[in-house]
Amino acid sequence: MPQQVTRLAVVFGILILALVLARSQLVPKTFGQAGHYRAAAVTEIAAAKIHYAGHEACAACHEDIAKTRSAGRHRNVACEVCHGPAADHVAAPTDVHPSAPKQRGRCPQCHGYDSARPTGFPQIDPVTHNPVRPCISCHQPHAPETPREPEACGACHGSIARTHAVSAHALIGCTRCHETDRRHKTTPLLIRPSKPASRAFCAGCHARDAGSPKEIPRVDVTTHGERYVCWQCHYPHFPEAK
Amino acid sequence: MDPRFQTLQEVLQQVKGYIYPNEVELHWGLLVVVYPYLTGLVAGAFILASLERVFNVREVQPTYRLSLLTALAFLIVAPLPLLAHLGHPLRSFEIFLTPNLRSAMAMFGFVYAWYLMVVLLLEIWFDYRQDLVLWSRRESGPRKWLHRLLTLGATDLSEASLRFDRNAGKLITLIGIPSAFLLHGYVGFIFGSVKANPWWSSVLIPVVFLFSAIVSGIALVLLLYMFTSLVRRVEIDMTCADKLSSLLLYALIVDFSLEVLDFIHRLYESEESIKILSQMISAKLFLSLVVLQALLGTVVPILLLGLLSPAFRSRGLVEVPDELRRWAYVGAAVLIQIGIFSTRWNVVIGGQLFSKSLRGLTVYKMELTGLEGFFVSAALLILPFVVLYFLIKVLPPWQEGETAAQAGLAEVA
Repeated sequence: MPQQVTRLAVVFGILILALVLARSQLVPKTFGQAGHYRAAAVTEIAAAKIHYAGHEACAACHEDIAKTRSAGRHRNVACEVCHGPAADHVAAPTDVHPSAPKQRGRCPQCHGYDSARPTGFPQIDPVTHNPVRPCISCHQPHAPETPREPEACGACHGSIARTHAVSAHALIGCTRCHETDRRHKTTPLLIRPSKPASRAFCAGCHARDAGSPKEIPRVDVTTHGERYVCWQCHYPHFPEAK
Repeated sequence: MDPRFQTLQEVLQQVKGYIYPNEVELHWGLLVVVYPYLTGLVAGAFILASLERVFNVREVQPTYRLSLLTALAFLIVAPLPLLAHLGHPLRSFEIFLTPNLRSAMAMFGFVYAWYLMVVLLLEIWFDYRQDLVLWSRRESGPRKWLHRLLTLGATDLSEASLRFDRNAGKLITLIGIPSAFLLHGYVGFIFGSVKANPWWSSVLIPVVFLFSAIVSGIALVLLLYMFTSLVRRVEIDMTCADKLSSLLLYALIVDFSLEVLDFIHRLYESEESIKILSQMISAKLFLSLVVLQALLGTVVPILLLGLLSPAFRSRGLVEVPDELRRWAYVGAAVLIQIGIFSTRWNVVIGGQLFSKSLRGLTVYKMELTGLEGFFVSAALLILPFVVLYFLIKVLPPWQEGETAAQAGLAEVA
């Protein structure tokens, strides 16, 4: 056998031996028993201290609050989301008391304005919305309702209101285009506002023969994009958008 | 203000349209651009070396050993950007200790180890063994011991033994070509298999990566060959430079055709992402894609090499003095390096600039300092040349060395 082969065999043999040795020393004993992970990790994690009690445990003592919450808009927000982990409180109710977020910082984590949040989700600007006063002075956190009907559409439709406010349509009020039943303010998902259903609505200002001020852009509504309602191509809250 | 928030605020001002909140900041930055660039150079340099060995392209023989050492130097540095990007470099060995056969990224550890240990180091060892033995006999001091150590004790220089070296080298190169394809094809595979990303998800990406790798590797070796000849005050072998530039031109044409094919395919397919991708090209990637990658990095070098290199006519389409041709080759090779780096940039950064909503674009703000910053990446791009310098010191790749070794062999005989 050529000398090279034997020498290389020795070198590769040492490397493979080193790998086998390293594996035997460094790979945890229970690795791979149940998948590509250390099986003992499961029992270690299971043995870790449990911090959360679960809302059923809270309801066992605080029945009245649980009842209020289950009927309100926060019914899917678990108690410990606001009050923090409560397992210690369940174990020793008089010795350990969970926290109650009475400051303004907590609620805006969900209700502060963020354009990524769905339209209609109650959102406020924490800087301008009744500054300094704690949220719970007006809102009942276990079954929150708006203290009074929202005054402006922007209270819920913040993203649209902000866009609309800087658009060429800024001076046109929301209800000019959307017929809105009063009940939409209290039951927004059940009673929906309307949208213009025909081209004639926009044509009221934008048709060639419309009686609106002459600065307003005109189109021939008989030929322009004939198969569509206007807002299928033009975004009415910001008509400048291409 | 916290500097991170400041950066975020600056970035937010340049965000266009609608993007999801977790898409504002890019997760793969400059270091991930450097990584495929470096591995591409490894694969390219190796494939150039294999041309001489397997396909008997005699003209490029002066660059054979230089290409092998270049591939090795870049291969040693190639994983460093990834390690710097991920952090916790000591955990990287877990890939070998607890191999995860279902992870493409983990399996790359084995592709890399195979390529380094079985292909590149072995090929270099078999090629240099005779010289190592002769050097260790003639030299003194630490170099003698270093070269002796590198022979691994295999000091037999009989004709049969040398023939075995040659045959083993050839066999390894044969295995090495698909391995080099695997090494860089894999990098393209990682991007091409991200099916949620329309900019990456394409079966052509691994092939495009491979050919751009060959282009960048040949261009780099051409540059290094010219530079080292200049430093060593040795005349450049123009037959070799001409052949290299012809090969470079062929590879560049194939690479460009593939990219154009990919482009036309995307246009014809015209998936829902086409609008945002064309917006991205015109708004965010115009400089790096249209100007640097396509125009300066591909079209200009194709014209330069097509006119001056002897690819189409033995004296070139336009006959110019050697000196001017050399400069043109250097210019083309430098432009190609810029172009290929832009290609990597456009793939890695471009793939993260548009929103998954296909309705908005974000922006990449490169940092200067810090682990993900410009300086670290620049250092990682310079490091392979430092490694190459030391490799050349230990294993001189020059033909004169080989001739001297032959003379030494004759003496021994």
